[in-house]
Amino acid sequence: MSLIPGTGMVKGMALTLRRFFQPKVTVRYPEVPANVAVKFRGRLQLLHDENGALKCETCFQCAQACPVECIDMGGVDTKGRFHVHWGAAETYGERREESALRRAGRPVPDPSHERFPAVDVALVDEILEAHDHDPARMLQILEAVQAAFGHLPVGALKRVSERSGADYARIYGTASYYHHLRVGPVESPSTGANPAALADADYLAAIAAAAGGASRAAG
Amino acid sequence: MAVVARAWGRLTIPGKVLFTVLPLLLALGLALAAVVGLFGGAIVDLAVQYGEVVRFLASATIILLITIPTAFLIIFMEMKIIAFMNLRIGPDRVGPWGTLLSVVHGLKVLMKEDFTPSGADSLVFTLAPVVVYGASVMTLLVIPFAPGLFAQDFNLGLLYFFAVGGLSVVGLMMAGWSSFNKYSLLGGLRSAAQMVSYEIPLTLSVVGLLLLAGTMSLNQFVENQSGWFTNWYIFQQPLGFVIFFIAMTAEANRTPFDLTEADSEIVAGFATEYSGMRFGFFFFAEYVNVFIVSALTVVLFFGGWNAPFPFPELSVALDPGGLGIWLLVGIALGPVVGTLILAAPFILLRSTMPIWQALVAGFVLLNALVVGLVLAWAFISFEWVAGLLWFLGKTYAFVFTFVWMRGTLPRIRIDQLMGFAWKWLLPAALLNLFVTAGAILVVGR
Repeated sequence: MSLIPGTGMVKGMALTLRRFFQPKVTVRYPEVPANVAVKFRGRLQLLHDENGALKCETCFQCAQACPVECIDMGGVDTKGRFHVHWGAAETYGERREESALRRAGRPVPDPSHERFPAVDVALVDEILEAHDHDPARMLQILEAVQAAFGHLPVGALKRVSERSGADYARIYGTASYYHHLRVGPVESPSTGANPAALADADYLAAIAAAAGGASRAAG
Repeated sequence: MAVVARAWGRLTIPGKVLFTVLPLLLALGLALAAVVGLFGGAIVDLAVQYGEVVRFLASATIILLITIPTAFLIIFMEMKIIAFMNLRIGPDRVGPWGTLLSVVHGLKVLMKEDFTPSGADSLVFTLAPVVVYGASVMTLLVIPFAPGLFAQDFNLGLLYFFAVGGLSVVGLMMAGWSSFNKYSLLGGLRSAAQMVSYEIPLTLSVVGLLLLAGTMSLNQFVENQSGWFTNWYIFQQPLGFVIFFIAMTAEANRTPFDLTEADSEIVAGFATEYSGMRFGFFFFAEYVNVFIVSALTVVLFFGGWNAPFPFPELSVALDPGGLGIWLLVGIALGPVVGTLILAAPFILLRSTMPIWQALVAGFVLLNALVVGLVLAWAFISFEWVAGLLWFLGKTYAFVFTFVWMRGTLPRIRIDQLMGFAWKWLLPAALLNLFVTAGAILVVGR
């Protein structure tokens, strides 16, 4: 409360008059493009056509272009010719590669379906238990895993994803973001053999043995 | 007959409308021509004989007509100015810079359902907006716009203004009462209480001015303030002006005194049950009121149509007939040559601009130049044009102030509103009156 009544009012009026002459913050969007960060892509989502079918033709171009490899394909293509599903590589991998080759015009790498060496998942489970299976503490988990294995093996990352509920792509993104984390070399310390050289049954058995159960091998 | 029916059937809807309207217009024109041809002399005689009546009818019609564009303009100003004060752009889609948006608002209001609640007193319900709007428009009859440009000049002008302006309270009460809704009734009573309370300091604040001017004719007020701007009554009645301005804000229901239809708090006060154009009339009346309030402020305190300084006497003698055949040549070639000359800098200096854009720019510049020259010539040659421009300039400065206040000030509480009127404005108005009267006794006018 000042001594002279009305000074607050005068201040307010002066403020609005100054605002009147200041540059405006509104962006006339369709005429003037919005000023966003260069790498901004908005939210990724698949669009449907007017018949309700997915417009995605599983051409894998987006997956190839994705810098953090967070995109992968799965499902049915728009013409129903091509079935992609998570599961054993031998059931779909060949047709999938054929289709990707046909659509993209070049071979499409698919690291997440390559064979990965089996790891000692009991170790990973211990680490997860210590961190309460909390996806919010992913960095500490990954650091502990790296301390245990010397690097971050794909098998360990898959186990972390399975147990903590976090997406593999996110874990991979976190792991590949930090310089002090190393996403692992191919050779397996636990089996000592190159998994690509193994027969399918041997490979599955090795994985199942490392996971401590026979369920996958039985299936 | 069948041929006509088939031809009619082939017409599109606009064609049907055209073929219906054109013969009607033609018949109307013929009838008018016949009336003028047969009784033209008699009509002119009558018009001369009842010149005052004709003048009144014409001015009333014109004033009724100019209120609509005035309201549109002020609504647009309100949207745009408040948007600018909020760092927004405001309307910019309909028309150039969004200028047609308020017209679109008007059309929208026209097209909405005109609803009367069951149980409402439909006659009073219908008449209420008419009374409110009529009261606003009728006050304009005594406002002098320019020398010679006023509807009526009579020696009780100011009293008439306040008397007719007070009628709008009746309209608001009618609206509140006839809506058959207790909230409308409360809103009507509330606005009536506000306007009646502020009527008193408003009228008292002008009494000092009346003592000074010795007249109630608004034209006389303006003529008293001619010459330098120091003659304006604002310099003799500063306190009176402050009281008048505050009370007028309350009378026009403008922020910070817009409790009658506090948009964000009560639904719409007395206008709760109104829809369509009936609501539109309340809405328009509010904005016409803003214009009227500003106009009266200018007339009473800011010299009306007087320039702030004695304008130098200039005269431009134009004799287009003296040019002879060169007049025709000038009319034919002037626009083309002017456009080319004004487009030349764009063509020469801005190589990225296509030629047609440069030509359009040149044409627009030429038009602006010509309009400016014509306005300047009219300003110099006709007293009423200069007066009208000064008057409208001052008036819209006050309209801007009202909008500016609306963009800034928060609404006050109803008890603060009443307390302010009775405890501050009324004593201040009385003080102003007594001091003015004493000063006149001591110093003389």
